[in-house]
Amino acid sequence: FTPLMLTAMFILLLPIIMSNTQLYKNSLYPHYVKTTISYAFIISMIPTMMFISSGQEAVISNWHWLSIQTLKLSLSFKMDYFSTIFIPVALFVTWSIMEFSMWYMHSDPYINRFFKYLLMFLITMMILVTANNLFQLFIGWEGVGIMSFLLIGWWYGRADANTAALQAILYNRIGDVGFIMAMAWFLTNSNAWDFQQIFITQHENLNIPLLGLLLAATGKSAQFGLHPWLPSAMEGPTPVSALLHSSTMVVAGVFLLIRFYPLMEQNKTMQTLTLCLGAITTLFTAICALTQNDIKKIVAFSTSSQLGLMIVTIGINQPYLAFLHICTHAFFKAMLFMCSGSIIHSLNDEQDIRKMGGLYKPMPFTTTSLIIGSLALTGMPFLTGFYSKDLIIETANTSYTNAWALLITLIATSLTAAYSTRIMFFVLLGQPRFNTLNLINENNTHLINSIKRLLIGSIFAGYLISYNIPPTTIPQMTMPYYLKLTALAVTIAGFILALELNLAAKNLKFMYPSSLFKFSNLLGYFPIVMHRLPSKMSLTMSQKSASMLLDMIWLENVFPKSISLFQMKMSTTVSNQKGLVKLYFLSFMITLALSLILLNSHE
Amino acid sequence: MSMVYINIFLAFIMSLMGLLMYRSHLMSSLLCLEGMMLSLFIMMTVAILNNHLTLASMAPIILLVFAACEAALGLSLLVMVSNTYGTDYVQNLNLLQC
Repeated sequence: FTPLMLTAMFILLLPIIMSNTQLYKNSLYPHYVKTTISYAFIISMIPTMMFISSGQEAVISNWHWLSIQTLKLSLSFKMDYFSTIFIPVALFVTWSIMEFSMWYMHSDPYINRFFKYLLMFLITMMILVTANNLFQLFIGWEGVGIMSFLLIGWWYGRADANTAALQAILYNRIGDVGFIMAMAWFLTNSNAWDFQQIFITQHENLNIPLLGLLLAATGKSAQFGLHPWLPSAMEGPTPVSALLHSSTMVVAGVFLLIRFYPLMEQNKTMQTLTLCLGAITTLFTAICALTQNDIKKIVAFSTSSQLGLMIVTIGINQPYLAFLHICTHAFFKAMLFMCSGSIIHSLNDEQDIRKMGGLYKPMPFTTTSLIIGSLALTGMPFLTGFYSKDLIIETANTSYTNAWALLITLIATSLTAAYSTRIMFFVLLGQPRFNTLNLINENNTHLINSIKRLLIGSIFAGYLISYNIPPTTIPQMTMPYYLKLTALAVTIAGFILALELNLAAKNLKFMYPSSLFKFSNLLGYFPIVMHRLPSKMSLTMSQKSASMLLDMIWLENVFPKSISLFQMKMSTTVSNQKGLVKLYFLSFMITLALSLILLNSHE
Repeated sequence: MSMVYINIFLAFIMSLMGLLMYRSHLMSSLLCLEGMMLSLFIMMTVAILNNHLTLASMAPIILLVFAACEAALGLSLLVMVSNTYGTDYVQNLNLLQC
């Protein structure tokens, strides 16, 4: 069991190590990487099967790294339920994405470096997932952040890409503050960074570290306060968006919260906070997704919306359901990104859905997978998304929780259906709106194979995973029929509404956008306001306080200048010398008279 | 003091008042200065003649000489002022510098 797992992970390291040799230089390097990942996937399926059949978890602690006073850090991998199931899923999705990017980045001269970056990202993600102590998790955490920066700014000549990469790093950093705070709290209060020790000892008040972890998840998984980096991260190439920002990196934050579920079970405040945060995120990003015009941005917002849904699931104390949603979501989201990538490339790098249309006939395979992916996303019964999303909505409906958050989640679910309909309507249906000289060809085997694999995964993976995992928290079995049908009902309502609106407004004149439209289109004004205002205010405040307040006012103005000013004013008010000689004579005479009267002593 | 002296002394005081309290023309203070000199001269002469103080008989004449010099000085000042300002109003003399 354990050697196999380690072999799987070691195989991934091989292409990186080979990068200095001859193998890196030739054009078959992408093939090597792809086959490496496929072998790693197959090898990692074996321990997964063993785990499913026996339910046996393992912890591999290899190498005692260092001891800082009383803290012992070692290289330890934790193969429990979460990591054992996540690794094959992630490897499968990454395999498909690697194959896809062999087609997509075919004309890029630095394709070898691209694959190396993707592989390094995968390795750091593996480190994150299998980490048994917080330090190793932090290594993986930072690693995925760095690789995200390098990959988003892949086309570094473009200024938007550079700012997007920097934005990603900054927002992640703010989340890292929370992570480090949690680490510090654990270090001071339980003297360990190992999960086993943290979960066994009983703490009385866990608010601070859980707040820190929530902040970290907000940063990494783009929850409401720290969300603008995710739509901006679409500046990277489509495989990057598919891998990082749909399946693996953005679930790192959710994964962290899932890892700490024994601590979160006891703390009701934390659960309420996560619930409300997830609900706000879901609704807000779904609203923003409704009026975007860039296909990748719509899918990015749908990612954030689903992430919000995962956080909501954690908030209702169902970590296993959230994990299930992570795994199933990876399939169809990656496929959606790959379909949009194929559309973009075929239309000669056109990303605006207002300029696409009528792709139903020229690209049948992409059309099929787009429709199936959107249906899986919205939770069509018996496709993949159903097994996780519907369960989440049911559990939320029947649990004793915050009704407002629940309502918002339901509204967001219907909006999911709405924007998916919008994508399909604009991209696939209607008359073509693009340039007519594009050769639309989706005949490449790499493209077809990778999308086909993920397509089969989207359809069947939900069923396969749900029926083969070891038993976890039991979902609610009995509920009134209207609650059970809620998710389906709101989704269908969203579909129909969006379809009707789109059909009705198809040939109308374009009117000036209402303020609600502007709110939705400009991401709720959040990036516009928050990027400029706080930084400018804090900088001017610090400048004013440092230079104006201390130097100029206190040192200069209080004593020296005020004294001189005071004296001048006083002297001009008191003294009335006018230079008129008449007054001098008068004063002489008055003095004389006064002295004669007063000093009349000889009489 | 006899009546004569008081009378002349009063004249002196009157001229002093006039020297110190004048309205607008500088000339009037110079005139009062002359009046002071005059009353002083008269008082000196009468006192010397009444007391047969012949040794000091030249004092009034010296006083007259000095009075003349000082009147000349005053008049030259007046002329300077009049050259600058055109008139001799004392309101003009309000510059505190040379």
